[in-house]
Amino acid sequence: MEQLIEQLKSQIIEALNFEDMTPADIDTDAPLFGEGLGLDSIDALELIMLMDREYGIKLADPKAGKAIFQSVRTMAEYIQANRTK
Amino acid sequence: MRVSHEIEITPSRVVLSGVPVAVSETGGKMLVELYRRYAGDYPKFFKMDTLCRLGFIGAELLLKQSGISSPVSAIIFANRSASIKNDNDYLATISEGNYYPSPALFVYTLPNIVTGEIAIRHHIQGETSFYILDNPEQLKPIVEASVNPDLTPSTCVLAGWCECSEADTFYAKLQIIWNN
Amino acid sequence: MVYCIGHNVISPLGEGSQANLEAVRAGRSGLRMYDHRFANVEPFCASLFDEPQAFVPLCIRSVEMAVSGQPALVSSKDTVFILSTTKGDNLDLWTPATAIAEHFGNPNPPVVVSNACTSGVCAQITAKRLLEAGKYKYAVVVGCDIQSRFIVSGFQSFKALSPEPCRPFSPERQGLNLGEAAATIIYTAEPKSRGWRLVAGSIHNDANHLSAPSRTGEGAFQCLTDVMVGASPADIGLLGVHGTATLYNDAMEQTAIERAGLQQVPVSALKPFFGHTMGAAGVLETILCMLQAERSFVKMLSGFGGVNAAIRMQCE
Repeated sequence: MEQLIEQLKSQIIEALNFEDMTPADIDTDAPLFGEGLGLDSIDALELIMLMDREYGIKLADPKAGKAIFQSVRTMAEYIQANRTK
Repeated sequence: MRVSHEIEITPSRVVLSGVPVAVSETGGKMLVELYRRYAGDYPKFFKMDTLCRLGFIGAELLLKQSGISSPVSAIIFANRSASIKNDNDYLATISEGNYYPSPALFVYTLPNIVTGEIAIRHHIQGETSFYILDNPEQLKPIVEASVNPDLTPSTCVLAGWCECSEADTFYAKLQIIWNN
Repeated sequence: MVYCIGHNVISPLGEGSQANLEAVRAGRSGLRMYDHRFANVEPFCASLFDEPQAFVPLCIRSVEMAVSGQPALVSSKDTVFILSTTKGDNLDLWTPATAIAEHFGNPNPPVVVSNACTSGVCAQITAKRLLEAGKYKYAVVVGCDIQSRFIVSGFQSFKALSPEPCRPFSPERQGLNLGEAAATIIYTAEPKSRGWRLVAGSIHNDANHLSAPSRTGEGAFQCLTDVMVGASPADIGLLGVHGTATLYNDAMEQTAIERAGLQQVPVSALKPFFGHTMGAAGVLETILCMLQAERSFVKMLSGFGGVNAAIRMQCE
């Protein structure tokens, strides 16, 4: 799980263009939306695409994303449970 | 119609109202260098495509360094290539064998987005317009009509040519234009 | 003020402004489900031509039908061609504009307006300004967009598309449908005693977010306020809305309309018939509103994700 979390942080940084950030800068349990990284609706859609592209998970309903994208940890746990790649 | 300030940006040179701005990088890296030196407080810059970064930096230098962002009531830009560079980047995410359309790239597949980025950054709720023309000269009559006090309420316009066809091939010439 | 002296619509519902009006009156919609139209793309609901159309010939046919009876107009040095489009001919916007103007022997450089969904309304405002400034005597405004794998895949990545025909302003709305069409409207600065005239236009950016409108409908409200100068809500016979049926667009428009005191005015939301025709929308929907409301005052509003534009038309 820790390896997945590290990998996920790198993928998030690249997918969302966080130029000046390293995985060490992202708190595993901090909120991704609102405070924390302050992601917006386009970022949420990009994370949905990331899960499909890297882990073969198709999320049809973007509203389900709210719970999954609470934090890097919740996202990793969801990927662990549902990945097909 | 009166021009008060002007900036010209090529991949290797930046000239602000006749005075060269020192840069050590070229191309896209130069735009990042300028961002770090003259802005640095807007992480959304790194989400932008090259066309938007070009317009954003041009507007940033022109408005901040000249200290006159509040009167600007319209942003009118033009180019010939529309958003072709970013369109091609988006196309790469929808190739038949590797189909993962990127929403973050699709957002930038309209040329007028650059005027939107500038409006958001500088809180300008006036007009934003984008035209596709053959060359910068053809924008003049349009801007003239758009800053004519008999025809529009815009008293001060940020206008100019903002063109990008490749990652390191771009050109911008932006001006602050007043209606008197 | 500028005067409308010709118009045309070509859509999956038919060729000609009247044909399209009849289709709307009869409640016919161009919206269908498409499955294998574009490779990789999930099934989607849209209004498309039965036969895929080429961009330039489609625009040319629309202009020809709009100018019929006034052939000398198109090649005159006093006429400017204004093309409204978002993705042009396979991502190229300048070449098709030049090809259209050249086909008609027009000597002036054409102008392309590419301002996202408000392009068609902005193109008419640009025409008004250029004519009132005395730069030209006639403006041929043609709006066109053809759907493609590029566009559909992008809107699917936004999850903005409704799986069924769109329902503007409905609490159950699920998003927009895409569409394609060409529409032409011709304006002159020369006063006409009868017919439609474009009396006011306004463009405002919300300065909120690239793809989401301001929650208070700021830009749209300012547009409505601007074009209502000299008129009151009681004067307005019909309000043409953008009504894309996305969650945020319609909520924003409703807010702006209420803030402007226009909530009692009958509303025309045409996207359930034509889908969202992008660069053509502002022109097509102006024409259909004019036809629906002959002998009344009409208002037209268009906005999505930031840019808002409005025009007020008046009929004598």
